[in-house]
Amino acid sequence: MRTSDIFKLAFKALRDRKLRSLLTILGIMIGSAIILALIASSSGLSAGVEAQVGKIGANTLTVSSAGQFFGGGSSGTQKYQLSQQDVNTIKSFQGVSDAIPYYSQRVTIAYGSNSIEGELIGVDTSALSTMYKGLSLDSGGLPDSYDPSAAAVGYSIAFPTGSSDQLALNQMISITLGGSTSSSLTFLVKGIFSEYGRVLFSNIDETIFISLQSAQILLKTQYFSGLYVMTNTAGDVTTVQQEIESYYGTQVRVMNAGSMVSSVESITEQMTVFLGSIGSVSLFVAAVGITNTMFVSVMERTREIGILKALGYKPKQIMGMFLSEAILSGIVGGVGGTILGYALSFILGGSLSMFGGFGMSGPGQPGSSTSGSSTTFTPVFTPELIAFSLLFPIGIAVLAGLYPAWRASRMNAVVALKYE
Amino acid sequence: MVDRELPSRAGLAVQTIDVTKVYRVGRIDYSALRGVNLKIGKRELVSIVGPSGSGKSTLLNLIGALDPPTSGHVIIDGVDLRKLNEDKLAILRNQKIGFVYQTFNLIQRLTATENVEMPLIARGIPDKIRRSRSLKMLSAVGLAQKGNKRPTELSGGEQQRVAIARALVTQPALVLGDEPTGNVDSKTTIEILNYIVQVNKTLGTTFVLVTHNPDVANMTHRMITIKDGLIEKEQYLQPMDSYTGL
Repeated sequence: MRTSDIFKLAFKALRDRKLRSLLTILGIMIGSAIILALIASSSGLSAGVEAQVGKIGANTLTVSSAGQFFGGGSSGTQKYQLSQQDVNTIKSFQGVSDAIPYYSQRVTIAYGSNSIEGELIGVDTSALSTMYKGLSLDSGGLPDSYDPSAAAVGYSIAFPTGSSDQLALNQMISITLGGSTSSSLTFLVKGIFSEYGRVLFSNIDETIFISLQSAQILLKTQYFSGLYVMTNTAGDVTTVQQEIESYYGTQVRVMNAGSMVSSVESITEQMTVFLGSIGSVSLFVAAVGITNTMFVSVMERTREIGILKALGYKPKQIMGMFLSEAILSGIVGGVGGTILGYALSFILGGSLSMFGGFGMSGPGQPGSSTSGSSTTFTPVFTPELIAFSLLFPIGIAVLAGLYPAWRASRMNAVVALKYE
Repeated sequence: MVDRELPSRAGLAVQTIDVTKVYRVGRIDYSALRGVNLKIGKRELVSIVGPSGSGKSTLLNLIGALDPPTSGHVIIDGVDLRKLNEDKLAILRNQKIGFVYQTFNLIQRLTATENVEMPLIARGIPDKIRRSRSLKMLSAVGLAQKGNKRPTELSGGEQQRVAIARALVTQPALVLGDEPTGNVDSKTTIEILNYIVQVNKTLGTTFVLVTHNPDVANMTHRMITIKDGLIEKEQYLQPMDSYTGL
């Protein structure tokens, strides 16, 4: 018997029971899709997180006032406030190469017909390239401390998606501070950054940078939102963190990029294990579904099996015919599941990245990352992963179909022919 | 009754030696056959008659290599079936035996042509060859125009003719019929019988037909009557040489 004939007959048998076959295949598809989407998006998330670490560097710590978590903005009452004195103190710690103070505030940026939610960061702009590795200007220059109304803006502020209004150099933009309705300030765009993307805590493309002095005047405070602390080597990060924590106690919150990464990664890992077990369970359920469907099918076609035996089909051929029905379901389910999983991984990637965005704090307020950000982690599809998601369901289907197919092949011809 | 004619003249198509078959229903053993000795010669057209439950269908299943006897030997074309394993039995059924059943036993989801092709598919015969052989066979039974119809779209008589085409497409030496005209009208019965006689004469195919119908039995060379699992009598009705059919 030719292999092509076996599959042709299997196809006809599946087609004869369309709905049932489709439901069986759907079960396989869902299982395979979940597993593919999961692995692709969680490895995409890990890759994205690692890329961000590369941007800020593993030798970076952030220090922010602990009270900020609850106070929000500068209106907090009982919190410790970081001043120039703290900058000097931290700079003097063993292993610290630099401490860069910054101001940060949620703002609304308006020009032309655009109104964009973003973040204002006041910082010594010459330190930007140390803080964000690889950040470069698309056009113009950095605002310096002598020019209080100069600003440099992120790429998405200058070129918002879905808007024809775009920023040019030396154009005026209006900035409204978050929380207050009255104070609207005007800045002159001196520089536009190239696309950079998200670092763990904020989206640089949606940030407007001004000098430290300008921010100090604008926000009417001499206390900083936080400090960027650079250590001499990545190995110093832990000791410096301990030094700062033992000096300030619970007054400040110290975060290091490495620990953020590992916390994101452990979350990712847990989600992978959790969703992966759901995926495996659903594939297992699909396998049981195949077995069940095939048992029903074998029983319904008892008479047909008797006919096949009378016509001189060998047990192996009959087994092959039934098994290839399972294999066909597995192939269709695997291919469909891979396509579905491919689509699903982008949806999942989006929600995972939002998930990853929560609870991160940095230069901005806690939770200052824009949850509606268009930045998502791109799922990673390796050839091995695709091969796995195509072949694994077929393997499962074969295993699930083995026993019913064997039962079919062992059936007694005379009994089968009498079956009503 | 005509003169006894030794079937062995042309060699034996079927021989059974002390064949018994015991079915176990629950805890009760039920003897369907209790020692059947039978010789059927090549080119013979034989009918097996007997009351319901006499064991005639059981005998047909043993001859058809579908079921092994409890004891005794079934020899088809000189080969003792006991010496064959499952695969070899399947090959023997495919190459030497054709089956025709009262209930037609066609595969419902396949077309008439596809049904006729089924035994050829088991042999691995290429698509085009088996298609043309099946179509030729269908037109031989007068269904040239109905190849694309499914069994449900055909009358009982037409379905039985498809089944006959399927049984004969492999050019078997032996065709076994279990009440082949049991579910068709009298006109179709005559058509089918004429065709069987024609095939028997022209191709020399051996036929063994289990039947209740005296008309069917009367047109065969020999009528074997079975009762209570034993051969009660054998009657030679027509000489093979002068045989002209109905």
